[in-house]
Amino acid sequence: MHGRIGLVLLVAVAAAVWVLPSYYTGLLTQIGLYALVTIGLNLFMGYAGQVSLGQAAFFGIGAYASAALAVKLHVTPWAGMLAGALLAAFVAYVLSFVALRLRENLLALATLALGIVINVVFNQWEFIGGSSGFKDIPGFTLGAYTFDQRAYAVLAWALLVLGLWFAGNLVRSSFGRSLVAISAGELGAQALGVDAERLKRQTFVLSAVYAGVAGAVYASQQSYIDPSSFDFLLSVNFVLMSVIGGIRSLSGAVVGAAAVVALKQMLQATVPLVLPGARGDFQSFFFGIILIAMLIYLPRGITGRFAEARRA
Amino acid sequence: MMASVWQYILAGVVVGAIYALIAAGFVLIYQVTGLINFAQGEFAMIGAMTAASLAGAGMPTLAAAGIAVVAAAVTGALCYLLAIRPARAATGVTLIFITLGLDVALRGLGLFVWGTNPLSLNAFSGGTAVTIFGGVLPPQALWVLLTDVLVFGALYLFFRHTYTGTAVRAAVANPPIASTFGIPLRTFAFWSFVVAAAIGGLGGVVIAPITSATFDMGLTFGLAGFVAAVLGGLESLPGALVGGFVLGIIVKVAGGLLSTGWEDGVGFFILVLVLVLRPQGLLGRAVRRA
Amino acid sequence: MTAPAANPSVTATLEVAGVTVRFGGVVAVDDVSFVARTGEVLGVMGPNGAGKTTLFNVISGVQRPTAGSVSLAGTALTGRSVENVAALGVTRTFQTPVMFWGLTVRESIEVALAAREFGATYPPAPHRELVPCGIGAAQRRRAETALRDTADAILTRAGIAATADRLTESLAFGEERLLELARALAVEPTVLLLDEPLSGLNPDEIGAVIASIRAAREDGVAVLLVEHAVGELLAVADRVVVLDHGRKIAEGAPQAVATDPLVIDAYIGDELDAPAGSSFDGAQDDND
Repeated sequence: MHGRIGLVLLVAVAAAVWVLPSYYTGLLTQIGLYALVTIGLNLFMGYAGQVSLGQAAFFGIGAYASAALAVKLHVTPWAGMLAGALLAAFVAYVLSFVALRLRENLLALATLALGIVINVVFNQWEFIGGSSGFKDIPGFTLGAYTFDQRAYAVLAWALLVLGLWFAGNLVRSSFGRSLVAISAGELGAQALGVDAERLKRQTFVLSAVYAGVAGAVYASQQSYIDPSSFDFLLSVNFVLMSVIGGIRSLSGAVVGAAAVVALKQMLQATVPLVLPGARGDFQSFFFGIILIAMLIYLPRGITGRFAEARRA
Repeated sequence: MMASVWQYILAGVVVGAIYALIAAGFVLIYQVTGLINFAQGEFAMIGAMTAASLAGAGMPTLAAAGIAVVAAAVTGALCYLLAIRPARAATGVTLIFITLGLDVALRGLGLFVWGTNPLSLNAFSGGTAVTIFGGVLPPQALWVLLTDVLVFGALYLFFRHTYTGTAVRAAVANPPIASTFGIPLRTFAFWSFVVAAAIGGLGGVVIAPITSATFDMGLTFGLAGFVAAVLGGLESLPGALVGGFVLGIIVKVAGGLLSTGWEDGVGFFILVLVLVLRPQGLLGRAVRRA
Repeated sequence: MTAPAANPSVTATLEVAGVTVRFGGVVAVDDVSFVARTGEVLGVMGPNGAGKTTLFNVISGVQRPTAGSVSLAGTALTGRSVENVAALGVTRTFQTPVMFWGLTVRESIEVALAAREFGATYPPAPHRELVPCGIGAAQRRRAETALRDTADAILTRAGIAATADRLTESLAFGEERLLELARALAVEPTVLLLDEPLSGLNPDEIGAVIASIRAAREDGVAVLLVEHAVGELLAVADRVVVLDHGRKIAEGAPQAVATDPLVIDAYIGDELDAPAGSSFDGAQDDND
């Protein structure tokens, strides 16, 4: 089902990019890439019942891997995307032995800390540009054709549809049911013969793959990255997208990403009118308030709300 | 070389004292409510920025400092009343996200109110720097250490020598049973936020003359305080004190020997190590609770 | 169907009226009514799964009944929170003793005493706090000494005075039981619910608990006692209510209940080492 809705969306996006101004096309790309990250996050947080406050790090690893290969070794971004996904997966796999032994509060802390440590590495490692990052990252190409903003939007949404389709099949499989069993109670799930440790690890790695792929496309699309693009606030934004859309929902990831990107645009357009001095990441104030309000009044997210309404 | 390491250690003691204060706030809230308050560092930011801006407007430093602590305490009270209490039926992960939202919202608020420029605050007193074995401590460092002595001393007296302190410990040990002895859990939860915020704000105020104050200082201080609390076992105020100093010294020595950019990385690396290898903290006993 | 329990001339302290608890399709407590009066020990008997603990949960406010009500001296308890019920004078202990880890034994008693002192309002007025410094220190020190003496007297009566300065997490199981009982008595309850207070104790400790129960009765507490050790229960109880599969099947004097054929039926397979009485004395109540 997710796959079919996704295809419709992809067609809509492919059509829209021909009429939209390129600025909005860029926003569509952003929504697609963020939604991709959020799908992974929802699998890990919503379905497996875990928590990650460091997802921006995997997004960053994907971006840096692809950018470094492209800039230093002139590797095509297509291969860079694969490398980004693999590296993010590898890092997640290694970290899972550390982080996934912890629960809730401490897991939140550990993932947050790991996210920041990885950001410090981005900042301090001169080989990958240190605090100034990479400039002039080569774009994606198909034969002689170099991607423009329209093509990136289509690419991002094509990947998103693929990601939705895969995740949709996954959650309907016995794997997905086992995940839900874990989130309901690890001991109970283990009593049913579910290898909770392994499933959590696989889901964590998968969420990193989603983020890594999105990050690699992001690097080429922006053609510029630096460590501040992947900081703690971005991790919080991913959490916000997840919560707004509905943490245990796949289509919610798209809704959440779209809502956050749209919100950011609205705030950037309106807040300076009211408060001329406001600049920098003042949106974070509103994002924080919205996050809290959602959790208090709409803890299952927008899609969760609709699902309830349908059932009623 | 040795001399500079000694100087790093002294610098570590000073920031460690602040980490200990913020860690104490974490521990208070965690013990009483069971939740990790990711917004803890922002109380230090509110304290530091309020004091610096008031002093900048001409108010005497100590008066500005007093108002700043009150401002932080009020912020803590509002956080509890507006964000935590309405969601008290929520589960663990939801509450984590709510305090995360508080952290982000307060930082954004700081940006709105004070902008991005760093503010400075005069030291509380003049006087010359103290030299200890060739290492130098500025006069403000003594204020920082004095604050630790007073805060931890007051907490000790409260928890060991008052009815209410004993009642809080009973509430920490077993909330439902404690409530049958007339112990008001929600009132204590409220006050844990107020006191934790006041202590955090005080930390921000006393460190501001040394580090200056910026709207985004809360994240760094909050997370460092968090690491310190975890080092101390997350459930112990003496642990928070020791954890603060241990972390401060490690971070400053490592930062001094490598580069200051690595300070955060070292701190969080230690956090991860402790979480994995010794989750009960450096001083803690193995957890008895199931 | 009349029984002394229904005699209106005696002040009824705790009244359980038609209480029913259903968990889904299972009826854990089925239309149970009885009265517990001040200064008596009411034994609550029944085989495993008879609904005794569920009944305690209803009385103490943990479990809301599906039907029926509980009242204390005319004040309804049903629907109130656990804290509220406790504040009205209903205190309980648990099958597994619940300790305040991190507090010493004496502090555990002091918490209970403070609940009585302040009428459950924290923080108390500053002059009641025990900060041993500042203005009026002498007065406060006197208050502290007085509180300490009261706590120590309670611990001595409970037979655990030697443990006063130990942390509760270091206590042996029997000491935990004794402390839990002493802590419950320290709040001077109107009604005391004891859930198997003798299990896991050695003979000395059993003697101490029974002495405490009798002392509480003398002080006018209504004690409700659930206990598997039927012999001890029948020895200490003034009256007994018997539950089986959630229904009350008997109520009356211990020796009468012990010989009730319905009760013996319910306990088939269980040894009923009661003093064998030979006659019914009319106190026995049919289940209706």
